[in-house]
Amino acid sequence: MSDRPLESIVPEYIKNFEPYIPSKPDPELMKLYGVDHLYRLNNNENPLGPPPVAQEIIRRFQPPMAALYPSGDSYYMRYKLAEKFGLDPDQFLFGNGANEVIAFVIKAFCQEGDNIITADKTFAVYEWVATFSGFEARLVPLSNFGFDDAAMLERIDERTKILFVCNPNNPTGTYWDSAKLRNFLDTIGGRQIVVVDEAYCEFVDEPDFPNAMELSREYPNLVVFRTFSKMFGLAGLRIGYLAGSLEVVDIIRRTCVVYSVNTVAQEAALAAIDDDEHIQKTRRLIYAEKEYLRKELTQIGLEIQCGEGCYIMIKLPMNDTLAYRKLMAQGLMIRSMTGFRFPNWIRVSVSKHEAMEAFITGLKRILS
Amino acid sequence: MTNKDGVQLKVRLNPVFTPLVTSFAEESAKAFGLDRNNTLKLTLACEEIFTYMCGIDKDDKPLTITATNGIYFVQVNILCEVAHFDPRAFNLTAHISEKDETGLEDMGLLIASRSVDRFGIFRTSGNGIEVVLIKEKTYPETADAGSIEVKPLKTMDIQVPDPETLKLFARQIVSMYADNLYPPDFRFPGKVADMVASGEYNALLAVDNQGSIGGGLMWRWRVAGKKMVECYGPYLFNQLPGSGMAEKLTDALIGSISKTDAICLINEHPTPELPEQYFERLGIVDCYMPDGTLVPWSFYYRLLKEDLGAQVWAHPALEEFLHDQYKSLFFARKIVLTGYGGETRPPHSVLAAQFVRTQQMVFLRPIWDGIDASQNLSKHIEVLKNEGMRIIFFEIDLGHSWQANFTPALLENGFAPRLILPYAGKADIVIFQYREGVQIHV
Repeated sequence: MSDRPLESIVPEYIKNFEPYIPSKPDPELMKLYGVDHLYRLNNNENPLGPPPVAQEIIRRFQPPMAALYPSGDSYYMRYKLAEKFGLDPDQFLFGNGANEVIAFVIKAFCQEGDNIITADKTFAVYEWVATFSGFEARLVPLSNFGFDDAAMLERIDERTKILFVCNPNNPTGTYWDSAKLRNFLDTIGGRQIVVVDEAYCEFVDEPDFPNAMELSREYPNLVVFRTFSKMFGLAGLRIGYLAGSLEVVDIIRRTCVVYSVNTVAQEAALAAIDDDEHIQKTRRLIYAEKEYLRKELTQIGLEIQCGEGCYIMIKLPMNDTLAYRKLMAQGLMIRSMTGFRFPNWIRVSVSKHEAMEAFITGLKRILS
Repeated sequence: MTNKDGVQLKVRLNPVFTPLVTSFAEESAKAFGLDRNNTLKLTLACEEIFTYMCGIDKDDKPLTITATNGIYFVQVNILCEVAHFDPRAFNLTAHISEKDETGLEDMGLLIASRSVDRFGIFRTSGNGIEVVLIKEKTYPETADAGSIEVKPLKTMDIQVPDPETLKLFARQIVSMYADNLYPPDFRFPGKVADMVASGEYNALLAVDNQGSIGGGLMWRWRVAGKKMVECYGPYLFNQLPGSGMAEKLTDALIGSISKTDAICLINEHPTPELPEQYFERLGIVDCYMPDGTLVPWSFYYRLLKEDLGAQVWAHPALEEFLHDQYKSLFFARKIVLTGYGGETRPPHSVLAAQFVRTQQMVFLRPIWDGIDASQNLSKHIEVLKNEGMRIIFFEIDLGHSWQANFTPALLENGFAPRLILPYAGKADIVIFQYREGVQIHV
């Protein structure tokens, strides 16, 4: 055995990186917290599940098919999206969830000494992937809960390669309208890649919300992220994608891991994407229950941040990680926000009424 | 091997290398900035450890010595595989009688342990033993020059201070706050500056656009495991109630550590300005003011991650206490019972003592297990009481079954479990307090 310590071959940026430890499986958590039920209000999953037609695909999957490799580049999905958005099939790249495509973009454009820019209080994976890949993540404070375009532009230097904008933002629900996004892209002038993460765009029903897919025709440096994990209820199958100009996607394809999206995910997503009724049904549920939460929380006297998306942020008069434990002891799993740099805030995924009522009851109990 | 922080020497366990070992220790200590007196003490400690190891193992085994520059201290790690290592002389209770020739072989270890400020002994894989010796630099204590007049700030920006501003801040804390609201190190501004430079301590100050310091707070990584951050403050200087300064400082602190390895944040020196809504109280222990008044001492704590649950070792005698504590604190824990079943144990235990003499307080921690744990603890209590210590704590880490098995010895000697520090060590740490003449809240 070599006497060379393992530590000596680990890059500094890896030594300093904190690994993300996901939650234990539900049965283990229930055992630990001594509860017989668990409302999952922490991951912004669709409470209605996948569209019925996608559920049927999953049910009908033939087990022997598991022995065969899937389409390596999600062939049929790319053609389907091309038809839906009026783009070329080669303008899409699929990944094992949108998380994977974040890495494709960073690997394609960044090299030693480069940096990326994003917000300090947003989806953490842009910052993580950049950091554990050895690149600087420049974090710009939110302004009034929203991405601060001017401050992001100020942080650009000659080594900035990518700017990530989460639109609408997770966890605050704020969004840039078409005019703001256009202005931002015009100011960048094609010198950097602009990624617009639209993981929650299907929940937005505002006329001024930008159509980033359409904008990618005008801005070859624009990359759009979408996922099937949220509105389409396929989080457990892991499938997401990016879209952009032929030129930018051709570069990113070089770092894309093929065969990473399984057959069931591809087929279920193919069926799900046309189910507009499911989208409408989910939206109605989310709007109604968000309204219920807003009313109840206002009555309790808590500060809330309720924007677009299927989640709501609540500021508590107590430590959020303690609130997490106290709510878990009642079978309510929420997201504590210290990890998002929002101490004493929690984020609650909007779900069915029974779960929302249970949450309000549980919250009142821990605050009393 | 050399780099800016450390140097390393590899030799064989043979007395012929003693001059090489002492030269290495002396020259590296000097290079890393220890003064002559402290350099000689650290060198002596290294020499004694090396000589002791040569004496107990004649097999010319490889030995590695690493000296590290901690900015405000120099640390020497001595790593070797030796058989029959008995570190009992590291106990502060140890003494060697000239008439007792059987104990003379331990004299070297006794000298080594008394020559340094902190030490540790760890088992590594196989028969490996790692002895860690730490010698701190000497710094002048802050002169009692009174506090600088500060007015309520009209504007406020949270900043990381430069060394001179940091020293001013430390002086201001010492002049405006009681001794029990800051660690003794704060009395040495130069040391505070070096502790921050070393990366062990961090500071954030609230300043206005003229550079006036309205307040601030400091924090440090607890060395073991790097999972716990201890914070001090917030310290506010003549700021108006409702200024929001304490909250802004706390927000900034949490924001700066929330995406690091730190799992939890603790404040053992809460000032009246501490925004309690950011913390939870773990429990209360007893403390004495300099005038002898008994006061309750609260431990404020905050988990920085969602609790994913954990497993802890526990002696059956501690099980009920742990169950009650975990239930009231809402921590998910699987308690696994442990206890000795007749297996062979080392003959002599070792305890480390960390003194806070200004508060007549001492923290004991087990360094090495041994059959004599109860007697050793009893001797420690006697010595500590004779030294005027009124508050004696003992910490055990439930991530180590051998530490959990100190429980009977603690209970036999008048200690009672007082509170749990979740995730403070390899697993949770239980703090026991010696209870003679002390009101028990458990």
